[in-house]
Amino acid sequence: MLVVSSIGAALAAVLVLSEMKFMNYGRCKITINDKKEIETDGGRSLLSALGNEKIFIPSACGGRGTCGLCKLKVLEGGGKLLPTEEPLLDKKEKETNTRLSCQVKIRNDLKIFIPPELFAIREYNCICESITDLTYDMKQFRFQLVEPNNIDYIPGQYVQLLAPAYEKSDDEIYRAYSISADPADKNHIELIIRLVPNGICTTYCFNYLKTGDKIKLNGPYGQFKLADTNAHIVFIAGGSGIAPIKCMLHYLKNTASKRKATFYFGANRVKDLCCTELMREFEKDLADFRFVPAIASPEPDEKWEGQTGLVTNIVREDLKNAAECEAYLCGSPGMIDASIKVLKEMGMKEENIFYDKFA
Amino acid sequence: MKKSPDIEKLENALRSSTIVAGGFLGTDSRDLNDIISSDLSELDGLGITITKLVSRMKEITNTAIPALGNWVKIDEKYEAMVEEAKGILTCPWPHSGGFDKRVTFLKNTKTNNIFKWTDLNIHLIEQHNFFEGKGSPYRIEPKELVESIF
Repeated sequence: MLVVSSIGAALAAVLVLSEMKFMNYGRCKITINDKKEIETDGGRSLLSALGNEKIFIPSACGGRGTCGLCKLKVLEGGGKLLPTEEPLLDKKEKETNTRLSCQVKIRNDLKIFIPPELFAIREYNCICESITDLTYDMKQFRFQLVEPNNIDYIPGQYVQLLAPAYEKSDDEIYRAYSISADPADKNHIELIIRLVPNGICTTYCFNYLKTGDKIKLNGPYGQFKLADTNAHIVFIAGGSGIAPIKCMLHYLKNTASKRKATFYFGANRVKDLCCTELMREFEKDLADFRFVPAIASPEPDEKWEGQTGLVTNIVREDLKNAAECEAYLCGSPGMIDASIKVLKEMGMKEENIFYDKFA
Repeated sequence: MKKSPDIEKLENALRSSTIVAGGFLGTDSRDLNDIISSDLSELDGLGITITKLVSRMKEITNTAIPALGNWVKIDEKYEAMVEEAKGILTCPWPHSGGFDKRVTFLKNTKTNNIFKWTDLNIHLIEQHNFFEGKGSPYRIEPKELVESIF
C-alpha cells in the first residue's frame, strides 16, 4: 500500500514539475468582450493575467479558488470546469460558461466576457494623509490619491487595500473596506477600520501604517447603494459598518435630498460609539434625518441616557412604518441576519432590504 | 517518509500568513500529520470524540450569536459571547467555502477563566481534526478545551 501511494505521489510530483518546467504555452491571446485583445504568457491564471493588465477582478482568497468572487464568463478556450470550481457555481452560471478566473489556466487563446462595470476599477497610488482614533479599536484612515488623482464611486461601494508583506505576513494581501469619505471629495478616500485581533491587514493598518506612507488601493467595487426612490431610509449599522452609511449621508447632504432617513447605530458599550458629533451635524444639515444610537450593555460607570438594548430591539420599538421603508444594513453577519429577521417580521419586503456583504 | 506534493503544498499554506497573521502552525516544527495524530491521541485518552466536542462548541456559539456581542448565560457554569468582524476566512485545505470572522468567548463564571475559538477552528477540528500548531494565536489544546466546555 505504502509503495503504491509513494509511486502515485512521485508521479504526481513529476507531472507538476514537468508542467512547470517543460510545458511552454507560448504567448496567448485573450479577447475581452469582443472589443479588446491582450497578449500574455501562457501557463498563468486568468486572474493573474488580467491583473497584470490592470484589469482588477474582485478576489478575497488570493487566487486559491475558495472565495468565489472572481467569476467571469470564459466563452472559448477555458477547458473543462474544474472540481475546485463546481461548488462555487450554480446551475445557471455553469450553463453560461461562468468560471473562477483564478482557476482557469491560460493554455491557449481565450474569449472572455467581463461585466463592463469592472473596467471602471483602477489601482490608485495613495499617500496616507491622516490616521484618526475613533474608538479604542476603530480608526479612520484618510488617503490622498496621487496617481490617478481622482476617483468616482457610488456611495456604499468599497475598495481593496493592499497590505504589503511585513513582519506578520509573508505575502502582500488585499482586504476590502467600505468607503466612508464625502464622495464630493474626489481626491481622497477615507476608510473606517476596526482592529481584528491577529487580522493581517488591520494589524498592518493599526500598528505599521504611518502618516506619509505610500499605499495602494483598487476599486471601486460593490452593488450596495441607495435605491432611486423616495422611501423612508432606515440605516442599521454597528462598529465599522458606519463607514458606508456615513458616505451615503454625505451624499444625501450634497444633493440636498429631502428623503426621510433614520440611522440606528448599535454598540455594546458607550465607548464603542463613534462619529456621534458628525451625526448630530447631519441631523442639522439634512432635511429629515434622525440618529438613534443604541447601547446594548452600558458599563456601570458610563453615563448613558439614550436608547438601551440590542439595536434590533430598538428598531422594533421605534420604527412605526417598516412596510413603507427601505433598509440599508452594514455590520457583522449576526447583526445583519438579526436585522433582516426583525424588519421582515415588521412587514418590510425583502426586496427593500439592502446590505453590504462583501467578503 | 517523503511528503506528497499535495501535503507539501498544504503545509506551506498552513505556515504562510496568507489567510491569518502568523499562519496556522505557529512555532510548531512538527509535520502536519504528527500534529493531528498527537492531538487525536490526546483526545482519545480523554474519552471524547470529535463529534461530541464539535457539537458542544457549536451549541455554545449558536446560543451566543443572537446576543450580538453581549454575554449570554449558557448554563449555571458558563457565559458566552461572540465577537464578529466583517469578511470571511477561507479554510487552508483545498475546498470551497468561507467562514464568518467570528470568535466565541466562553467564560467559566466560577473561575472567570475565558476560553476562545473561532468558527474556522470548529470547521478545522470537525473536518480536518486540526487544532492548529503550537504557538499559533488560535491553537486549541484539546485537554484545555475538553476541561473548559463540559
